[in-house]
Amino acid sequence: MKILKKLRRVFRLHRIFIKQDLKRLMEYKIDFVTGAVALLIAQGINVFFLSIIFSQIPNLDGWAFEQIIFIYGFALLPKAIDHLFTDNLWAIGHFIIRKGDFDKYLTRPINTLFAVTVEKFQVDAFGELIVGILLLSVSVPSVNLSINPLNILLFVIALVFATLIYTGIKLITSSVAFWTKRSGNITYMFYMVNEFSKYPTTIYNRAVRAVVSYIIPFAFTAFFPASYFIAGGNPWFNIGGTVIAGSVLMALGILVWHKGVSAYESAGS
Amino acid sequence: MRKILKIYKPFTHAGVLLAAQYRINFIFFILGDILMCFINYFLWKAVFNSGGAETFMGFSEVDMVSYIFISFLTSTLAYSDGSYAVGEEIRDGSIAMRMIKPIRFDLAFLFQELGERTMSLTLAFVPLVAGVELFKFFATGSFRFSIINFVLYLVSLILAYLINFYFNVCYGYSAFVLKNLWGSNFLKDCIVGFLAGRTIPLAFMPPAVGAVLNFLPFASLTYTPVMIYIGMYSPAQIALSFALQIFWLVFFIALQQIIWNACVKRLSVQGG
Repeated sequence: MKILKKLRRVFRLHRIFIKQDLKRLMEYKIDFVTGAVALLIAQGINVFFLSIIFSQIPNLDGWAFEQIIFIYGFALLPKAIDHLFTDNLWAIGHFIIRKGDFDKYLTRPINTLFAVTVEKFQVDAFGELIVGILLLSVSVPSVNLSINPLNILLFVIALVFATLIYTGIKLITSSVAFWTKRSGNITYMFYMVNEFSKYPTTIYNRAVRAVVSYIIPFAFTAFFPASYFIAGGNPWFNIGGTVIAGSVLMALGILVWHKGVSAYESAGS
Repeated sequence: MRKILKIYKPFTHAGVLLAAQYRINFIFFILGDILMCFINYFLWKAVFNSGGAETFMGFSEVDMVSYIFISFLTSTLAYSDGSYAVGEEIRDGSIAMRMIKPIRFDLAFLFQELGERTMSLTLAFVPLVAGVELFKFFATGSFRFSIINFVLYLVSLILAYLINFYFNVCYGYSAFVLKNLWGSNFLKDCIVGFLAGRTIPLAFMPPAVGAVLNFLPFASLTYTPVMIYIGMYSPAQIALSFALQIFWLVFFIALQQIIWNACVKRLSVQGG
């Protein structure tokens, strides 16, 4: 019962914070619309790029156009969900710690990590989310995908843990700032590796494939789970790998974060 | 000319110091961006393997790999954040301080940015050019570095930077009216990048679209210098593209002057 009460409190706080943030956004309506439109256009350009390639070749390394579109669309979903809820982690590495602004989270009677992430609700992410859903829905009829309760359950599980891979990597790299004062550029470098996940890992050489599968495991956010749905394959590896990678990175992230918070020294004024 | 250099040299010096300050930051960002080049490299390798043909719409595999890395280099070196800098100064009102000094607003920015570019020049230029040339050597078995094309590329690159600078300053003036920049800058970067051929060479576009895009100023920013570097242009095409680049440079300098004269009259600085 106590846990239930606690959870209720968390969700209530979450609602209040998001409401506050949306109010702030209404102040900058045009900025929000142009930001989301720009993300939409950026993804649209990439799809156009793929269609030009496929106008000249029958398949890419054995993958048909619709299959590539499915993987691409799948890749956008966890990225967008993470973007929507934890965008404030970027600010931790870029300036919050350096300027000493982290102090305010320490004074609050809620978990610091919760307080930081809940502060910003990044609506730009809807641009990626819309394109992702659109690409998945146009490609589903032409890829060999059986829609049954088990697959729907696995889809949801894959999505949740793929999102945790993103959040975990951002969490670990931003927490470095607790010791170094600033780590936004490190987060950027690791985060960019996610771009590798949009294409089948079979097109990369062995070293790159090993890195994106097992070291910075972004391949488990898109290619591995997506290929289970459209090309079969072992669910224990393709989906189970996503679950393991997501759990490990998230647990590591939380650990490093709390170690970091206790090492945090405010900036002098 | 001598006098101009003497007046604006301190700005260049300040730019160099600024870039040195953010050196580490810059290295990490560039490493992140180079990852994108490698993704494209593997993607195109797979395309050539799957297609079976020697060329893809007139580009061989070596051409395509050179295109990916040299277009990244070109857009990094010709990059200008004039639109942010001008927009910020208009928003916080510090532009007023510039207006009371006996210097030209655009030249002060230009010389400062040239100083900042020294960092990307020293850190990105040599490794990327050397890397591409080594790749070409191992892929074809012969050394195919053309000094003439390289010199022409450098000239075209400088023109590309100047066009980009004045285009961005013109764009930054929109802050006189809008006072709000982040979204519009992001949108601009997306569209300009595409029209400049950073995603795909303009030669891959449908012929009619490609012909129009070739004459727009954006092709001059990335596509033209890169095509010269990889030797895809005939001497006649090179002459024509230089003429176009000079035309667009003069056009944007004139436009910048006109907008500046018109905007100064309606500048309102908030607070003080």
